[in-house]
Amino acid sequence: MTHRYVYGIVERDGNGRTFDLETTPVGEGDEVYTIAHRRFAAVVSDIETTDPERTDEDATRHDEVLRELVEGSKGDDAQTVIPMRFGMVFESDRALKNVLRGAGPAFRRTMREIDGCVELGVKLVRETDAEVDTEEIEQAVAERLEPLAESSVANDRFSDRLVVNRSYLVSREEREAFDTAVADLEAAHDTLLVQYAGPYAPYNFVDIQVGAV
Amino acid sequence: MFVIDDLLIRPFVGIVDALHTLALDELYDIEAIENDLKENQLLYELGERSEADYRERKEALETDLEIARDVHEELASGRVEVKR
Repeated sequence: MTHRYVYGIVERDGNGRTFDLETTPVGEGDEVYTIAHRRFAAVVSDIETTDPERTDEDATRHDEVLRELVEGSKGDDAQTVIPMRFGMVFESDRALKNVLRGAGPAFRRTMREIDGCVELGVKLVRETDAEVDTEEIEQAVAERLEPLAESSVANDRFSDRLVVNRSYLVSREEREAFDTAVADLEAAHDTLLVQYAGPYAPYNFVDIQVGAV
Repeated sequence: MFVIDDLLIRPFVGIVDALHTLALDELYDIEAIENDLKENQLLYELGERSEADYRERKEALETDLEIARDVHEELASGRVEVKR
């Protein structure tokens, strides 16, 4: 039996719209398409199991599909997407539409918060053996980047070389200014390596949990 | 006398068990290994670590992580016998 693997939720996209993506979908289906209920649509592909194993390859495919939707590709417009975590499968279209109906208010609220925005990640890493003033750098980053972002969150400092690790919710209109600001920060701190990543679907700014299957 | 000895020793045995569990926790620290995996990925992406070094380190850390998870599962199940 074929089930539906869900990547995320988009707005006003109708039923059965297919996306022409570079990424191979998670599961056995060969296309990514929408299943809609009124205002919202789930972006899905077909899958044989209701419990997909989280392999590196499939986790990357999940993220890449979302990235392509967020960036827009091959003539598809960039989408605002409420991302779902890896592994969400619905047994039937009916079960999925029930969730789209039941979680409608939560989707509406979230869509208002992230509409027109993407997530960007900034990691500042000190060079090996470099001594840096963490507080001064944090302050410089905040002063330069926060005014350009709708919101931001601090992420885990999983390495003692990591000076700053933050995700930013940035509107598409501010993208260029944000790129410039990150480049300025990099130029101003020669003891730091900068990893500037994205755009991603705004995982860190969405707090919706829906039951699958 | 045996009973008294046993009662006197028991609290110390309990402390040894607890210390041993703490030592295992530290030795098989899942969060620390996960952080090392993330650091390895980051340094590779920043070009500080070669692909060969990255893959070798990743493989070693993934093995450590698997062992650490097994150890914690065993500790949680109470099936681990602490040898003295």
